[in-house]
Amino acid sequence: MSPQIKSLHDVRKLAGSELSLKSRLGYVALLLVAAGVTVVIASLWITEPSLPLYTQAAFGAMNLIGVSWVALSIWALVARRPLFARDRVIAGGMAVAFTSLFLAGSFAAAIMAGSETAYAVMALAGMMFAMAIKVQARARRRFNELSARRAELEP
Amino acid sequence: MGTRLKTASLFLVRREPLSSRCDSFSVNTDSSPEVRADELLAIRCQLGERDAFDALIARWHEPIWRYLRRLTDSDDAAADLAQDTWLKVLRGIATLREPASLRAWLFGIARRVAMDRLRRQYARPLENDAMIEDIPAQAADADLERDLAALDTGVDSLPLRERETVSLFYLRELTIEQIAGLLGVPAGTVKSRLFRARNLLRKRLTGDRT
Repeated sequence: MSPQIKSLHDVRKLAGSELSLKSRLGYVALLLVAAGVTVVIASLWITEPSLPLYTQAAFGAMNLIGVSWVALSIWALVARRPLFARDRVIAGGMAVAFTSLFLAGSFAAAIMAGSETAYAVMALAGMMFAMAIKVQARARRRFNELSARRAELEP
Repeated sequence: MGTRLKTASLFLVRREPLSSRCDSFSVNTDSSPEVRADELLAIRCQLGERDAFDALIARWHEPIWRYLRRLTDSDDAAADLAQDTWLKVLRGIATLREPASLRAWLFGIARRVAMDRLRRQYARPLENDAMIEDIPAQAADADLERDLAALDTGVDSLPLRERETVSLFYLRELTIEQIAGLLGVPAGTVKSRLFRARNLLRKRLTGDRT
């Protein structure tokens, strides 16, 4: 096998692992779950000022872990596994589905518990839902633009 | 093979002034079928079509590998750099702003990857014999086609800047403007490097010492 053909095989193998949709969407799921959990913990931490110092420290540590997971998944999606137009539409759908469930759950908790924490979680879930809608709309617009240009160029 | 033969004829047969050659390559406008094909491929990749990536690699791996081979004089180094280049391409194509400039973008990445490697190589002091053994051999590759061996050797023996410019212009068929943008030099500098390279090659291939 010539060095050039061997190099071609290596590059094809590399592309196979780099282009895995599963790993891209895995990072999207990680981002959504980490963001959701962090929001709940942060709301509990902020709305319960009279907690003992050790509990406050534990909440702080859990928040730090949550933020780290969010940062890691964002970094991976930007630098290691960037989303293509089609992936962004799927990721946008996942975000809308996740945040709508989160919003519904926090709404139910707020109605039943009526606590300050539950309302704070609900407000943040509402913000996340709005962001997810915006992200999905932008992904669809980009996908449609590229598809239109593709149709123009198609022989 | 076709491109290389065409290149050989450009070097060995054509003798018209450089300016006319430059103009003929500058006609490579957005409406040319090649550029449209590149743009279509880039857009399909940006959409995330898996088979478009296979087509992209099938279409561009060989030119990139040959370009890197030309810069490094080593099959192994070219293979390593090609991997690095494709890694950056696969991770960066989603954000490529001008899909019609795919060709210049690909070679721009390949060049940056190669220059980073060369910079590291030259910055590293030669400390022992083992490191000296790592230096790529300068001997001509035995697999090179015999009918173009003389030309290949001639191009390989050019100084790095001229070799790179010749490779991008004749072998990769980038326009003067694309090469100028890629190398970050004025178009006039690209033309003068090509002029110098052609003269050097002519002297080496014909044994002309004047």
